[in-house]
Amino acid sequence: MNSISISESSIAKVSNLKLAYNMDFYEANNLRDFFIKGVRAPIDFLLKPKEKFLALDDISFEVKRGDRIGILGINGSGKTTLCRCLSGMLVPSEGSVETHGEVRPIFNTTISVLPELTGRENAEMLALLLFPDLTPEERQSLVNEGLAFAELGDFLDVPFKSYSRGMQARLCLSVITARPCDLLILDEVFEGADLSFQKKISKRTLSMIEDSGAVVLVSHFPEHIKLSCNRVLIIDKSKLVFDGDVDKGLNLYNKITGLSQV
Amino acid sequence: MNQRIFQRLYWEQVKNLTVANMKSRYRKTFAGFLWVVMSPILIYSVQSLVFKHFLKIAIPNYSLFLLGGILPWIFVTTSIEMCTPLFLTTRDVLLGFKINPLVILLSQLLDNFFNFLFAFLILLIPTWIFFGENIQGLPYLIFALINLVLGVTGVTWILSILQVFYRDTRFVLPFITNVALFLTPIFYPPEFVPENIRAIIVLNPLYILILPVRTCIYNFGSSEFLNQILAANFVTASSLLIAFYYWRKKRNEFYIHL
Repeated sequence: MNSISISESSIAKVSNLKLAYNMDFYEANNLRDFFIKGVRAPIDFLLKPKEKFLALDDISFEVKRGDRIGILGINGSGKTTLCRCLSGMLVPSEGSVETHGEVRPIFNTTISVLPELTGRENAEMLALLLFPDLTPEERQSLVNEGLAFAELGDFLDVPFKSYSRGMQARLCLSVITARPCDLLILDEVFEGADLSFQKKISKRTLSMIEDSGAVVLVSHFPEHIKLSCNRVLIIDKSKLVFDGDVDKGLNLYNKITGLSQV
Repeated sequence: MNQRIFQRLYWEQVKNLTVANMKSRYRKTFAGFLWVVMSPILIYSVQSLVFKHFLKIAIPNYSLFLLGGILPWIFVTTSIEMCTPLFLTTRDVLLGFKINPLVILLSQLLDNFFNFLFAFLILLIPTWIFFGENIQGLPYLIFALINLVLGVTGVTWILSILQVFYRDTRFVLPFITNVALFLTPIFYPPEFVPENIRAIIVLNPLYILILPVRTCIYNFGSSEFLNQILAANFVTASSLLIAFYYWRKKRNEFYIHL
């Protein structure tokens, strides 16, 4: 079931990546304010250049086969934005992001596609959205395996909307972790599941990480990075400030955040 | 993976998600299906009764005339109503994985289209038999309906992106569509509108999209239909191009605002 399809060692290459957003969201986020702004100062409204916020500033690195990269950075530093660029959801304002093979980003693990449908049906929909390249038979066998792993018993045929947050995470994580890929991007996916299930799912996630071509992992927990990664990137104020060894990276990160050394 | 495979995969997702949407909406029962298709049938029946029997509007085969206008109008307005907040209501899915937002939009739209089609056919077949209108336009109905769905796709794509940036869009739209219903020749013919403002009224893009559907079932004329479908194609192509351009331009901010 392994989908790894590339032979070359480079899985992704990020070159001089810059990503800027318009700041107009903070000025008007409804039609009424937009209308008032336009009528009150029409010349400014039409001609004034929009302020930009640089979310990622001149970032370059390469992801090679076998890399297990942990991305660290304080909230708002640009970690998730970088992952979204790598996954192709966001388009660089300058620079480039090249990827080879199947890239699968996962940013949330308590998702329902249609909450009125049962857990089983939601798992099937999730598999369809995540693994569209599989045949229906392959997808069904993957869903069955994931559902057995989730151990939700009779709850599988109950509407997803009645699940607790822990049960939602169980179901989603079991489907999401069912298949490796060329580049796996995991953004804080260890959170959400209940404690009893966390150990089980962590083992499965680590096994998926092992089987995938390369992994980019974002986590606020240095122990997750230490356990799963062989390389660390640190993003601070939209810039890449460190790219290298895990222990050195964790020490630098602790200095940045003001924590004691590991 | 080449473009063709991507398109096939997207279509597979749209198809399955549409079926899941329908299952969810019908609550997997025939009664659920009846509940969904009853609403447009009821609106049509009441309007038909009021305009034909109470107001005694003097249009031959008025039931068929109304059917060709009001049912597509209901499809357009319910699609706008359901699709405009869609990206926000599915934000967890859109932000959680890499999924083309258009897949979500199209599946909702197709779900709505099939509901419209069921209601339309349930009313059309007996009304047609009863009024004995010629069925020459029937084969062309498929082109008019495809164009209608594509045109509504463009309109709802624009509105659903707009809703992400301007959160009161969904509250402004019902007001606009309610006003537009009276200013659009849906339950009355354009000839009822004074000549000096008729040109403006018939330029309503939603009316241009609906008109070929009506012509196929009521007073069909091939040259008239050809002109109407060409105008409708123009509206559809324009709405899709604007939507595509808007999406390309706002894509990065879309995910931030979501």
